[in-house]
Amino acid sequence: MPTAMILLVALAACGKPLEPAPLWKVIDASTLRAMMASDKGLPVYNTMSELECLDHRIPGTRCLACEDVENNPSVLPADKDRDIVFYCESAGCYRSCRAADAAIKAGYKQVYILQDGIPAWKQAGYAMETIERIPRGSIQSVRAQSLKQMLTERKDILLVDVRSEKSYKEGHIKGALNIPLYRFSSRYAEIPLDRTVVLVDDRGFRTFLAGSYLEMKGYRVMRLFGGMQGWQEMKAEK
Amino acid sequence: MESMNIEAGQRRKGLRAELILLAVFAVICLTVPALAAQDCRFCHDEPLYRVDFNKSIHANNGCTSCHVGITNIEKHRDGKEKPAPVDCGSCHQEIAKEYRNNFHYIQEDFRCSDCHRNIHAIKQDKNKNVKLAIIEKCTECHGNSDYTASGHGEAVLKGNQDAASCADCHGLHNTRVFHTSLEQYPAEAREFYTQKCKRCHADSAMMKRNNLSDKMVAYYESTYHGKVQELGYPAPVAGCGDCHTKHNILPKEDPRSSIYPGNLEKNCGRCHTGFHTRFLSYQAHPDYKDRAKYPSLYITFLFMSALLVGTLAFFWVHTILWWRKVYWENDRMEREGIVPHSAVATGEGLQQVERFSAKYRIMHALLVISFFTLVLTGFPLKYAGTEWAATLTRLWGGAHMAGLFHRGAAFLLIVGMAYVSFESLRFLFPRGEGKKGWLSRLLGPESLFPNLKDLQDFKAMIRWFFNKGEPPKFDRWTYWEKFDFLAVFWGMFAIGGSGILLWKPEWSSYLVPGWVLNIAALVHSEEALLAALFIFTIHFFNTHFIPNKFPMDRLIFTGTYRLEELKEQRPLEYERLVAEGRLESMKREHPSIPLKLISATFGLGSLLLGLFLTVTILWSILFG
Repeated sequence: MPTAMILLVALAACGKPLEPAPLWKVIDASTLRAMMASDKGLPVYNTMSELECLDHRIPGTRCLACEDVENNPSVLPADKDRDIVFYCESAGCYRSCRAADAAIKAGYKQVYILQDGIPAWKQAGYAMETIERIPRGSIQSVRAQSLKQMLTERKDILLVDVRSEKSYKEGHIKGALNIPLYRFSSRYAEIPLDRTVVLVDDRGFRTFLAGSYLEMKGYRVMRLFGGMQGWQEMKAEK
Repeated sequence: MESMNIEAGQRRKGLRAELILLAVFAVICLTVPALAAQDCRFCHDEPLYRVDFNKSIHANNGCTSCHVGITNIEKHRDGKEKPAPVDCGSCHQEIAKEYRNNFHYIQEDFRCSDCHRNIHAIKQDKNKNVKLAIIEKCTECHGNSDYTASGHGEAVLKGNQDAASCADCHGLHNTRVFHTSLEQYPAEAREFYTQKCKRCHADSAMMKRNNLSDKMVAYYESTYHGKVQELGYPAPVAGCGDCHTKHNILPKEDPRSSIYPGNLEKNCGRCHTGFHTRFLSYQAHPDYKDRAKYPSLYITFLFMSALLVGTLAFFWVHTILWWRKVYWENDRMEREGIVPHSAVATGEGLQQVERFSAKYRIMHALLVISFFTLVLTGFPLKYAGTEWAATLTRLWGGAHMAGLFHRGAAFLLIVGMAYVSFESLRFLFPRGEGKKGWLSRLLGPESLFPNLKDLQDFKAMIRWFFNKGEPPKFDRWTYWEKFDFLAVFWGMFAIGGSGILLWKPEWSSYLVPGWVLNIAALVHSEEALLAALFIFTIHFFNTHFIPNKFPMDRLIFTGTYRLEELKEQRPLEYERLVAEGRLESMKREHPSIPLKLISATFGLGSLLLGLFLTVTILWSILFG
């Protein structure tokens, strides 16, 4: 039976037209470094949230959240033939938010993406730059199953969903407040101080820094282990 | 002028003051850093810097050893000059190098002081329980109740310095990135963590101290899971953490443990689906030599070992004696100038007669291909710890691909075996004759079944080996040829039967309990070793390497040989063919050059490969 399934899937894949190749180019860390050295004004954008970008970014690059590029590409340089580079914190960042796609759609012709993002830059041994460092807190993570139990037992828990408005609208845990990461530093005060905050993201990788930020601001914070993916896996297991 | 003088005097004074300041600065910079620290503490006057720092391990370093980049205290005081970020790596170079690939740095941009928060008061304490400190630090964020409730965590908390803390498995400054976004999970992570478990659990002294068995790793490595893991090309097989889970590692008597009998169905079910609950009696760490705990495995182990040693010893002795006799005999003939009839055959003696029809020649070639494929894909698993096994598996394209080829070759062999069984039955019960005369056919000269004459031939052969008589006269099949045939036939039940059970172990659980799969694995492996060594040494010698046939007898591939050879090697068959008037119908054309070339290439290639594998296998047994 599994063999038959695989065959079916394989056949289906054969019949499907291939996705067109992306128009942006992927570059590695050493190439980016060389490009920045030869072109001092090269616009290189960190597409993480402002909070994350100011905490640590590649030296000499600019903070411009991916969602901001999508919402308003006019923030990019006027010259559409200019080389522009986008990078983020993980290998697959452009899957959820495609700043590079938005730039190409807006008519930019020379768009680059840093392959494997900041991790690759760090692993190549290159330095980072800090503008406003967030002291790392002791942010406990809570598994989906435990969170579910906590939500029934404790009234002081407030879920804060830090994903984009779009992802939030597609589905979220009931009762969660949506403060997207790219607006976090300007909107965090909407969270009442007398609640225990549980931060929720896509896969559990982006809530630690946001949690540390909130802890610095005096909040009691936890984070959902595995993010929405963990929550959905827990629900699927049942 | 005055004013100018005054100005000049003031300038001179100012210059002197600047010089003094410069000198003071130089003294500050060049003498003991404590002076600089005094300057810093003028403003940074908290007890932490005034008292605790002086007692800390870094007390001999001044403030500016770490906080570099302040060139002007006034500017710094006025907030116009900030020190550069602290670079601990300028002294702790090795750690800094490791830390570059640390998950916490790569993913969350942790810096040294994020964990070493009390860096200004940190002291060297020889009595410090480092493992406990590590756990306390990690669990500040990773509140992993699974770990703290586990055997390891509990033991560390009770003061056991052997038990694994977080750092023993995950590393301390080199915590690895097994991040799904880097597409390295879980194969690499499974490999990495399994090695971590093995490192302690194979440490005899440590296991003895803790009243645990140091053999668990070796037992695991004797199973399919362990062998594929060890090959380094992890097809999806269970590493330690897959069964024992990642943190909740508890003895099987504990109901919270993943290996508690009541939890096994769920535990095994994470990888295996569609099995009967009987499947769960499979032993993941079997000890073949433990008679009390695994009696059936122990008996199988003894039986298979005895069969292996007995069969090989018997035939190796037979082969050596035979070789001795032929070699000495050839030497005598050489000295006396005697040439065998078959070598100087003339006239009718040169006539080719058929021994094997095209069908059987093709079947033998398929058998050779199938057998080599099985050996080349199976033995890397048997000797998974060796370099050649890893190389061979890589050539096949990984353990998974090797497994597919193994099953493909096994299928070919099973089909061949089924066909031979069918042929054998048709030989005994020919169409139209029914059961009549089956016994005489079974024990007759055309049959591959042993009979009384084989025993007499064997005795005569032994006497001949010791120069006590003439060699026996053979009919169509010699006793060793019959053994070759029957050994493969019989071996197929053992190796094929066990192989089919292991093919899809989940389905087999509907037929047999899981512990039978342990036996099947043992039988399959040992019978394979016996088959390979038998074919590559005894069969090869008896048929090809015997001095008067060396280096190979192409008969099985060309199908025909000289009439003179038939007379010499199988006189009784010749007489029978003449008496029955069948000889004429056995006569064939001389084999063509292409057929001879193909036969020689395929045959010699197979022989060389077999010999190479024999050396490799024996090397692995003796030194692996």
